[in-house]
Parts: sequence; structure tokens; C-alpha cells
Amino acid sequence: MSRDPLVVGNVIGDVLDPFVKSTTLRVIYNNKELTNGSELKPSAVENEPRVEIRGRDMRNLYTLVMVDPDAPSPSNPTEREHLHWLVTNIPETKNASFGNEIVCYESPRPTAGIHRFVFVLFRQSIRETIYAPGWRQNFNTREFAALYNLGDPVAAMFFNCQRENGCGGRRYQSVSGWT
Amino acid sequence: MEEVWKDITLNTFHQERPITPLDHHIYHHHHHANSSPSFKGMILQDFLAGPLNRPLHVSQTVVEQPPLPLPLPLPPYPSPALPETALSLNSGLEFQYLGADATNSHSNSSSSGHNASFISSAFSSVAVGPPSPTDLFSLCSKKRLQENTAIGVDRHHKRMIKNRESAARSRARKQAYTNELELEVSHLKEENAKLKKQYEELRSAIGNPLPKRHPLRRSTTAPF
Repeated sequence: MSRDPLVVGNVIGDVLDPFVKSTTLRVIYNNKELTNGSELKPSAVENEPRVEIRGRDMRNLYTLVMVDPDAPSPSNPTEREHLHWLVTNIPETKNASFGNEIVCYESPRPTAGIHRFVFVLFRQSIRETIYAPGWRQNFNTREFAALYNLGDPVAAMFFNCQRENGCGGRRYQSVSGWT
Repeated sequence: MEEVWKDITLNTFHQERPITPLDHHIYHHHHHANSSPSFKGMILQDFLAGPLNRPLHVSQTVVEQPPLPLPLPLPPYPSPALPETALSLNSGLEFQYLGADATNSHSNSSSSGHNASFISSAFSSVAVGPPSPTDLFSLCSKKRLQENTAIGVDRHHKRMIKNRESAARSRARKQAYTNELELEVSHLKEENAKLKKQYEELRSAIGNPLPKRHPLRRSTTAPF
């Protein structure tokens, strides 16, 4: 049984197939580095993060995908996956602002339940021309990767997010009188 | 009529009745004579007359469409749902059987409410199928009751499944974060140990006393 947070959190399964991590991805919101599997408020993730790709060879180019597999709600993910951001041709050692933003960053605003937001990084073999999909809903990362021959992901991270004043999914206070 | 039964089975799942078993038995025997013609009516009136302490949450439809001739105090009275649901059980014998079963019922009624808990567990078991649904089903009268309780069971079942999934997701979230933190901690510990080792090695390589900073000293001055 794997202890990898991506597996335990079902990112591997719902969004991706198992892969071997080969690149270090850093996602930084408001000068704070994101810890995999942590929870952030919508206000904290309103603006796009700085996404750094560690490495040595600037010739390597990467594609970054950010999706919400729990749209519109985790118990009823009919819009899985909702595409939040798509950037290509990011040079290694640099951050996402050096790439081509194909789909601009959409601030997470979950209304129902606690959603996962997943960053996936692919290494490109060549400089790509990637076309934006017609809409953000029902994006399929696996298919996207297959379509553009991106191969397996080289890194992935996720965080959880719920409504700004969310209660963690608990709807009822324990009130005496309820059975 | 059917809707009433449906509402009853759904609503009464949430209710508790602080009535003692003993009281109920007394009503059953004593008030038999002056009751309305049907068996159902008798139980109903008994309950209405009985000491119901707690106001119950009753759905609108139940109150508005009483299937039986109910006496006037019904609307302000908190309990029309209860007697009607109790009616779903055929005989006193059943009550007794269910009473025996009730001690480990699932509802959280107050400790004195034995009867309450067994009634709610009785029909709630009938309606929504927790502890021993199959036992109770075989006992109670089938027919119309089964149809309506089947719907209730379905809804409850779906809700239960949804709740389970939600709980599983919650556990997964928590576990994933914990794992990540543990990984980070072990990573950092390793790095820390490595760096400390490096530092020690470098220190000993230079020479133990830290090199003294040489302040500027006078030496030969150039002639020009």
C-alpha cells in the first residue's frame, strides 16, 4: 500500500496514472511554498502562484496543467476535471511566467464540498504549439497528454480548498434531541 | 394515504418518544372499550392522551391529512406522527417482541425513554432498515408498508453511501497530508544530518581553532 500522498489522496486514480517523479516542482502562493495535500483558502489562491521548476538545463521545456477533479462537488464530480490553468514551454530553472499561457489562471472558487486542485508537470520533447480547449469543464489530463505526446507526468502536487467560510463539510451541529 | 405513510416513515426516523413501556401496556388494556371502532383508533387516542413530554418535529403533510378521525387536540399536540407510525405494528405481541429488541436500539433517546426508543427503532427499522431489518420485516405486516418503507430504505441507503464516501474522502485527505508531512520531516532530518556532518568535516579540515582574523599590521613602508 503506497504512502505517497498523491495516491492516498486519490489524485493518482482520479486524474493521473502512477508515474515516477523525476523533477522538483515548487508552487509558491504569496511567498509561501505549498505543501502537498495542505488546505488553502480561496483568498490565498486568488492569484496565480509562482511555479518553479528546478534543474540545470534551460533547454528542457515543460507544460503545466492545473485542474480541479472535484467540480462541481466531490460527491458529484460531473465536471471533472475543471481546467484552471495551462502553461506550456516553460524552461527548466525558470518559473511559469516564462512560458506560454494557453489558458489563463482561474481562481479556485469551490462552492460545494472540499475540492482538490492538482498541478501536473509534463516534460516536453520539443517546443510545442498547444491549443486551448473550447471550455474548461470536463478536461481530461490523460487524454491531453496523449494528444500532445507529453508522456508520463514528471511531477505533481495538489492542495485542498473549500469555500472561504466553509465548515469542513460538517452541516449539522450536534444538537440534543436529534437521534 | 400512501404519502402520509411515506412521510411518517421518513419523519419518525428522527424522533424520540419518552414513553415508558409500562404506560403503553396500560393504555392498551384499559382503553380498549371506549375507543373508536378500529384497533388503530384506539392506540391513537391512547397516545394522544398519554404523557408525551417532548414536542416532535412533524411534517406539514402529516398534520394536514390525518387518515383517521382524530380528536380535536391533535394540531397543537406534538405527536400525531407517533401514533400513526405505531399503528404500523400489528399487535401488542409485536410491541413486546420489539420492546425486547429495543434495548440495543440505535436511537439516542434519553435513558428513560425505552418505549420511545423501541417504537422509533421498530418502525425506523421497518422504514429504513438498520439493526435487524430482516427480523422486523418478517414480523410486521407486509403489503402496503413494504412499498413505502422500501422507498424510505432506498433514500436512507443512498444517504448512507454518500456519507460513507464523504467520510472516506475526509480520511484520505487527512492521511495524505500526514504522509506528506512525515516525508518532509524525514527528508529534512536527513538533510540536516548531512549538513551537520559536512560542517564538522570542514571545520576539522581547516584546523580546530577558528582562524584568527589578522588585523592590519605595519610592515615595511615603500620608499616612494
